[in-house]
Parts: sequence; C-alpha cells; structure tokens
Amino acid sequence: MMLAIRDLCFRYPGANAAALQQVSLSAARGEVLGLLGPNGAGKTTLIAHLVGMLALQQGQIEIDGQPLAQLRVARPTFIAIAPQEYAFYPTLSVLENLDCFAGVGGLRGARKTERIDACITLAQLQNYRKVQAQRLSGGLKRRLNLSIALLHQPELILLDEPTVGVDPQSRAFLLDAVKHLARQGSAVIYTSHYMEEVQAIADRIVVLDQGRVLCQGTLQDLLAGAATLHVEVEDDSALDRLLQLLAAFGQTSAQGRGALLALGEPGRLPEVLLSIASAGLQLRMARFGQTDLEQLFMSLTHRSLRD
Amino acid sequence: MFLALAKKELLALSRDLHGLAALFLMPMVFIIVMSMALKDVYSPRVQALRYAVVNNDNSDQTERLLTAWSTEHGAPAALGSDDWKDAVRAGRLKYVLQVDAGFAKALDNPPEGEHAEKVHFLAEPGLDQGLFESTRVSLVMHVARLRTEGMLALLGVQGDTAQASQAMFNNTLVVAERVGKQARPSSVQQSVPGWLVFGMFFVVAAIAGLFVDERSCGALARLRSLGATPATLLAAKVVPYILVNGVQAALMLAVGVWLMPLLGGDGLSLQGISWSALVLVLLAISAAAVSLALVIACLVSTHAQASTLGPILNVLMAALGGIMVPLFVMPEVMQHIAVYSPMNWGLEALLDVLLRGADVSAVLARIGRLSGFSALMLACAYLLFRR
Repeated sequence: MMLAIRDLCFRYPGANAAALQQVSLSAARGEVLGLLGPNGAGKTTLIAHLVGMLALQQGQIEIDGQPLAQLRVARPTFIAIAPQEYAFYPTLSVLENLDCFAGVGGLRGARKTERIDACITLAQLQNYRKVQAQRLSGGLKRRLNLSIALLHQPELILLDEPTVGVDPQSRAFLLDAVKHLARQGSAVIYTSHYMEEVQAIADRIVVLDQGRVLCQGTLQDLLAGAATLHVEVEDDSALDRLLQLLAAFGQTSAQGRGALLALGEPGRLPEVLLSIASAGLQLRMARFGQTDLEQLFMSLTHRSLRD
Repeated sequence: MFLALAKKELLALSRDLHGLAALFLMPMVFIIVMSMALKDVYSPRVQALRYAVVNNDNSDQTERLLTAWSTEHGAPAALGSDDWKDAVRAGRLKYVLQVDAGFAKALDNPPEGEHAEKVHFLAEPGLDQGLFESTRVSLVMHVARLRTEGMLALLGVQGDTAQASQAMFNNTLVVAERVGKQARPSSVQQSVPGWLVFGMFFVVAAIAGLFVDERSCGALARLRSLGATPATLLAAKVVPYILVNGVQAALMLAVGVWLMPLLGGDGLSLQGISWSALVLVLLAISAAAVSLALVIACLVSTHAQASTLGPILNVLMAALGGIMVPLFVMPEVMQHIAVYSPMNWGLEALLDVLLRGADVSAVLARIGRLSGFSALMLACAYLLFRR
C-alpha cells in the first residue's frame, strides 16, 4: 500500500468531541478510495492531515513506509489537493492561476509551459485561458481547481467534494477525469457525501461518521452483508404502527405507502415478517433485496448521509 | 517560488480597484485638496481679508494711515446700510478699522488713560489667531510710523520727516529668517510628507483584504501544501508592497513638484535634499507599514474586519501622529502621545529630509526606530501566521 494511516486521533483545541478517533485506512497506486460520510464526519480533518495543515496528535501516517512529515519536506508536490473551496485567485486568469501554482511548486521554463498546457487540455479549459477565474461558471471553476492540483503530477491526489455545485455535464467530466488519473497510476482519495458518485468511481470505500471508520472495503464487500426490506400494508392508517414495529430491527423510513427497513443482519428477515404477522398487519407487498450505500449508511448510523 | 508568489501578489493588487484607489488616488487627492485648503495658513494672503473703515477723524494723518493701509491690505469694502458690527460678527467683514475723532491730535500728544482717542482693530470672532496678531502688529507699526514722524517734526528735524520715519522703520535692526534649506515652508511641503506617509500605511487594507481572500478560499492551504513556508509567504508579500510604496512615493512627490504648480498651488522643492536619506527614510516607512499590515492581516478573519480595522487604525495613527493636525497645535499631552505613533516617526523623518535639509546621519535615529518597529511587527506576524 502506498498510503497507510494507523490509529489516527485528532481533537481540535477547545472541542468536546474528537474529530478523528482511531482512524486506520490505506490507499494503493492506481486506486480510487472513496471517503464517504455526512458533514462533520471527519473527512476534511483527515484530508487536512494529509496536506500538512494539521499536525499529528496521535497515530501514524506513512507513504511508502516513510513518515508523511518527512515526505512532505522532501517532496512537497508528491501529494496534491483539490479542496472543497475554489482554492485559486478569483481575479487572476486561468493561465495566471496555473502559472502561479506551477511556479510555487518549483516548475520552471519549458517544463512549466508543458504542464500548464497539459492541465488546461485535461480540464478542457483551452477557451478560457485568459478569462478571470471569478468569471467562470461553477463547473469550469471546479475544473480549474482540479487542474491546479494536477500541475505537478502528484502521486497521491486528494479530491475533497470536487463536484459540489456543478452541473451534470461537468460532474460527469470530473468523474471521468478522476478515473483517468487512477488509471495512470496515481492514488486518488475522493471524499463526498454523494454515494452514487462514490459507488460509481471508487474501487474501495471507507465510511466515516463522527470521526470513526464505520466500515471499509470494496462496494461488493460492504453491501454483501446488508439488505433492505420494503413493505406496504393493506390499511394505510396502519403505516405508523408498521414503522414503529420495524424500528426495532434497524433504520426505518416511510417510502410511498409503505416502509423501508435497512436490515443490517439479513438473517433476521423471518423474525421481522413474524413480528408483522403477530401484530395483525396485512401486507399488500413485500420486497427484500440488496441495499445501496445510502441504506447501508442508514443501517449503520440510523442517520442519512445528507443529514 | 518567491517570484511566483510576488508576481501573484502584484497581479491580484492590480485587479483590486478599491485597493488601488486607496493606495494611489486617495493620498493624491488629499495632497491636492489639503495643500490648496491650507495654502493661506502657510502663506497668509492678508490682502484678501475683507475689511471696512469707519473714519471719524478726517485729518491728513488719518488719510495717510488709511492710504498706506489700503496699499498694503487692499481697498476697504464700502460700508452698506447694515450695521457694520453685525457684518463683523457674522464674518461678512473680517475686520473693521475704526478711527476715533481726534486721533491725529492724539498722535502728537497722546493723552493718558483708557479714554484716549485710538484706532480700533475690530475683528470677526473666527479670524485665525495668527492673522489677527499679524494684522494688529501691522497696524501698530503704521501708527508708530506716523507718531515717529510727528516726534521727528517736534524735535526740529529738517527735511522730509515722513521719509526719515520710513527709513527708521525699514531698518529695525531685526532680521527674521527660517533656518534650513527653505526660506519658508509652503502648504505643499507640509502636505506631501504627511499624506505620503498616510498613503503608504494604507497598504494595511489592501494586504489584509487579499490575505483574507487567500485564506478563506483555500489558496493559502494549497500554497502551504506545495511547500511554501510561512517565512516565504510573508516575504513574498513584503517585497511587492515595498515596491508599491515606492511607486506611491514617486507619484506623490511628482504631484507636489509638477502637478501642484499647474493647479495654482506652490510647488514642492526637492533641490538640495539628500536623496540617499530620502530613499532610506521611505524604505523604513514602507517596511513599518507593510509589517504592520501583515500583523493585521493575520489577526482578522473576515473581509469586513479587514476593511474596517485597517483604515480605522490608519486614521487613528494619522490623527495622533500629526498627519491630520500639525503636532505643534496639539496640547502637550497629545504631543507626548504622538511620539508613539510610527506615522509620526515617518513624518518627522520626511520633514527632516525635505524641509530641514537632513542627511543620512541626521535621520538614522528615526530610521532605527522605524526599523525596530518593523522587526517587531514581522516577528508578531510570523508567530500569528504559524499559529
């Protein structure tokens, strides 16, 4: 593994709760690691550690066996970030922004020109070279944000909510670009609370909540042990009773004229059905099937990812 | 890395119209407006004061006194139907000369006591104290000349007693002059150093504003992630803004030297000054201004704070430091406080060079004080930045 994080703990000064608690995860070259969690889960704190904005309080972060702090001194451009915010200068043009960050990272002369051109091409910003960044659309700003991160051909790329506020076209473009980067051999850590994005591009997924890793693995691994039960009762007025009854087995929500239960332990299905029958509720429909990330998250935390 | 950061800083500033206006336009406008407004304070135009005469003594001597006065101070305004006292009280007349009946007689034989016939100089309440005194002294001199003339005649001096009296007053055995390169400081020579220092310290708002933007959008985090150290980031802000201060200084001096005469004001004279002293003083002021700006930039967290705290601090330092109100008119307590304002150190250093003909050695103490302040501020900025 290229990146190895072990038992990382962090508490902001004056905060009651820890932002990160015993977080351990890893990422390999050529892999997109999806970091999934609601707001306040600890994703950005974790990223801030990787870019050197926060000092280690407890735990270890190593890259290819070397402590992160040492690597950052020796090769500061090894890791790059496209943060959630538009991390560039709004009054500078696309070209001026790229030129600035290229220069700060040590690129010079022909090599600098070559990399700037490559990033502009990758982000399809050719027609906007001389446009001030503040005049770009949301999608184009995201592309510029990403292209700055790619200037120095980093081996570990951190993308923090890179598709927030962009149109579907730009979102598709950005997701393709991320997959392309991984295919070229970079390790990509992709944080988002859009599970469909993570589901679509991540090779492995880490689900974070309240500073803890809830689960991690490939999508198949994570979803293998979880299922959902969707039931509707004949008598609509009994829906509240049904929801109350199902809540004892996992996260439950009303869906249409029925209820959706995220069943963390699929083996309990007979027990659930028996309980419904014992309560005298007549089912009109029952559908049992594989869950998705959203439902998995709900079953683990009893909360929605978008909370 | 340093060059890329410095270039970025200058590019961002060049696109910040408000920042540019505060740095270049505002001090330039202040210099022009204040120089024109204070022109008469430094070069009083006594002839322009509107006055009237109430002559109750139709003697030859009084006529000669009033003729000499009008030659020197311009013709009197005609007294209308208004009560002249109301006109003086309301400021429509700056002063009135009232000559009592029997004044000419009193010249030769001054009566004793308070009720002697006199020339009354009655000024409006708002007349500047300096002008009041200079006009009063001028009147005293005119009257004294007439009295001397009468005394010479009484003593039996032959010939033209008026000419003899004039000759005595021409040679008063008193020589008054200002020591230094300039015969007399003009309002421009007072305004340019003051508002130049003020303008240079206005980098506070520009630096703090851009720094807040940089920090809040994550660009700063990105720069740090690329290996830019706090020292490099701070240095990359210091150098461009010292250049900006240099351009400001050149522009303000040019306004004083070339633009002010075109606008009808006095020109700033740079003849005979020590250029090396001027450059060193400007560098020291700039370093103080930029380092203070960095501390403010590290302290504020929002644009609103940056755009209010910086200008408020600037105006306070300017008011305390003798930029807005000359130090010599302040009460003693305020003058003691003023010496703690870096703007005052800069202003006095510039006045030393531009007005008092100081060379490098003469301003080293003030440069040292400004440099010490800069070093302290830079250290604070570094610690705050790291935090």
